[in-house]
Amino acid sequence: MLSGVFHGSILFLVSAGLQVVFGVQKIFNLACGSFYALGAYVGVSAVGWYVGAGGPPALFIAPLAVAGLAVGAVGVPVERGLLRFVYDRDETFQLLLTFAIVLMMEDAIRMTWGTSPRSTSGLYLTYGRVGVLGTTVPVYNLIVIGASLAIAVLIGWLLTRTTFGWIIRASADNREMTEALGVDMRRLHTTVFTLGTALGTLGGALVIPATAAMSEMGIELIVEAFAVVVIGGLGSMRGAFVGALVVGVLRSIAISVYPELEMLLIYLIVIAVLVLRPRGLFGGPPA
Amino acid sequence: MILRAEGLRKLYGEFCALDGVSLAISAGEFVSIIGPNGAGKSTLVNVLTGVLRPTAGAVTFRDRDVSGIGPARLARLGIARSFQLVQVFPDLTVLETLQAAVVSRLGHGARLFASLAADRAVREGALEVAELFGLGRKRHVPARHLPQGDKKLLDVASAFALRPQIILLDEPTSGVSTADKTAIMETLVSASKRIGVQAIIQVEHDMDIVFGYSDRIIALHEGRVLADGPPAAIEADRRVVDTVIGRRARAR
Amino acid sequence: MSGRLVLALALGATVLAPLVAPTYHVLLMLPFMAYAVALLGLNLLFGYTGLVSFGHALFLGVGAYTGAFLTSVFKLRSMEVILVAAAALGALVAAPVGALCVRYVKIYFGMLTLAFGMVFYTFVLKFYRLTGGDEGMPFLRPTLLGASIEGLPKTDYLAGPYYYYSLAVLVLATLVMWRIVHSPFGLCLKTIRDNPTKAETLGIGVARYRWCAFVISAVYAAVGGALLGPPTGNVDPTLAYWTQSGNIVFMTLLGGFASFFGPVLGAFVFIYLQDWVMSVVPFWRLIFGAILAAIVIAAPGGLAGLWVRRPSVEASSS
Repeated sequence: MLSGVFHGSILFLVSAGLQVVFGVQKIFNLACGSFYALGAYVGVSAVGWYVGAGGPPALFIAPLAVAGLAVGAVGVPVERGLLRFVYDRDETFQLLLTFAIVLMMEDAIRMTWGTSPRSTSGLYLTYGRVGVLGTTVPVYNLIVIGASLAIAVLIGWLLTRTTFGWIIRASADNREMTEALGVDMRRLHTTVFTLGTALGTLGGALVIPATAAMSEMGIELIVEAFAVVVIGGLGSMRGAFVGALVVGVLRSIAISVYPELEMLLIYLIVIAVLVLRPRGLFGGPPA
Repeated sequence: MILRAEGLRKLYGEFCALDGVSLAISAGEFVSIIGPNGAGKSTLVNVLTGVLRPTAGAVTFRDRDVSGIGPARLARLGIARSFQLVQVFPDLTVLETLQAAVVSRLGHGARLFASLAADRAVREGALEVAELFGLGRKRHVPARHLPQGDKKLLDVASAFALRPQIILLDEPTSGVSTADKTAIMETLVSASKRIGVQAIIQVEHDMDIVFGYSDRIIALHEGRVLADGPPAAIEADRRVVDTVIGRRARAR
Repeated sequence: MSGRLVLALALGATVLAPLVAPTYHVLLMLPFMAYAVALLGLNLLFGYTGLVSFGHALFLGVGAYTGAFLTSVFKLRSMEVILVAAAALGALVAAPVGALCVRYVKIYFGMLTLAFGMVFYTFVLKFYRLTGGDEGMPFLRPTLLGASIEGLPKTDYLAGPYYYYSLAVLVLATLVMWRIVHSPFGLCLKTIRDNPTKAETLGIGVARYRWCAFVISAVYAAVGGALLGPPTGNVDPTLAYWTQSGNIVFMTLLGGFASFFGPVLGAFVFIYLQDWVMSVVPFWRLIFGAILAAIVIAAPGGLAGLWVRRPSVEASSS
């Protein structure tokens, strides 16, 4: 169950990135899973380099997190070079463009890191285990859950108490008005997209000690992230938080009860949500 | 009497768009609905054409309750409409647009394997309407390439192609130059006679058009019927003059 | 160059291919023909009705697994039976799924179809006792028109009788779809694509027509899926994965969704280009991703759009 919360924490980071991009640019970024994968592989390399350079293993989480965040900068060329051409296009074409990015990134990752899984073997338990609620849990998991919570709070603060956050919410609500108020939409788009990307890459980096970086991780994660935002509600940050928790926990319950079910249960819930309450738990009115 | 609305109320949350509107349309009538912006004209049109379900009250068409049954079913029953903001099919030609209406009317939409081009009844029906509205020569032009006035005509013509019993026109001359307005109205009236439309309802702002063509005028104000009667009576009605027509009564 | 001439030449080349072209290329035509059938159906939904499904690989899977079940579990080898069964099962699954999905549009339709596609994938993957899981199920060599051609070596069978059988199915499917698209029904679909609100006021029940288009497209996809089985002799869950759904939409866009033969062209170019690229570098996805991006940004009408060069369907949001 706690592993479900851990998985949910990672899922939250990726989904938060998805939500902020959808909120402002109204684009469902299929490539967010690919950025997650990128963050994972970069994270592995960063930790590998760090340990090889003699860094103390106890601090490995620092280069991991920093690398994860830093590689989010790849969002800038993606947005400037590709995405900005389709803002005024039909949703289908926007979606297909993000699918093109998925394809390209899949091979880009394969070209750089090869096809066999990469891991940071051994470092996972550097912080040891701890007894919680009757089972032992790696302290690393708790660190990540804590970090994820902190980021959630940070995002909440950012959105409600800063000017930048206000601008994000305003442009999600009404793009033309916000533009008319003098907000530089070009820079906003780039910033928001990069923020979304960075959240995804960070999530990928943080999950690395617990699993190995594998070539399918991107395309597998996107369907989970998709489930999260449908259940939570497209564009809602609260929705990402609750949705990620729901999906993460349900999945771990399903696996322990009846392994065949796993994602099947999640997809059925997605369908049920789309039919009964299309806007999810916290989303705005459906188009 | 063919179309009747009784005690129509439409609430949007707390905002009351229609507050007990009743009216009755009989065969042979040309009725104009007038009123200032926000009076509830669009809402009334949408309720009458089945797009909106009234919060209270009912719409009856030939003794049959049609409240909120949806525009498609209503169109098949015999009530057609045109739009204030022109609605066309951008990639279909004039002929194809009219053919679609005739296909719907004749119920040929279920024919998956028949050739549209070979469907004589559909083709002739479409060409007839095209000629009535002066769009015959442009029949192979895609709607997106038509000038605005022709798009308007096409919107109206396709409604007429359904051979409806009642046609509801939402501002048929809006966005059209003054010179063309009369031409459109004349086309409308003569087409109605040719096709056998039994009643015309229009929402209009242009008072010359309203007083020039209507048998009856219904004035709407703040969701209620202010006055309902022949042009002469409306003209003389102080309340209507003050709220809708303007301080100076229009000379005819 | 007139369209009819090009078509005739293409058909002629296709018929002659097994006699003159190297076997390798002839065999590559088989998945192309299968996908072409599926894409004709997908484009009825996409290009003619305006709905983009991100889960259509579901029906490819339904067709393929129908064939696999019939041949390896029920020992039924007749390809005719397989095709009819695939079509029937495709329709059977599409009826309720479609009824649900067509009530939503645009991104919600895409999301619902994606979810259904993944439900099927997960089901087939996880219930491995039934379906063989990720190893898949064998799709044994079917009999064509009653003739059991067991004796023939595999490549001779595939490049010979099976090739012409597939071609016949493709030609038949094309003729039927041509009729559908040029029928009064087809016209109604186009009105719904262009302006659903207006279509409703003309008495055209939008949901009902969309549902019909959905079911027909599913039948085509299922038949295409069944045709995909024999060449490899095995069907596996990846056939129904969401990226596969993305690929077939890609193929449709590549060829041009605004034209009748566009998707067929798209399938052809995709298959052959993929094969050629893979023989040069292993990174076909990178190149194809770039192609897709280029099409979306610069040439949304696809290859057919470039050839015809008419100001047809715009890709901007209304």
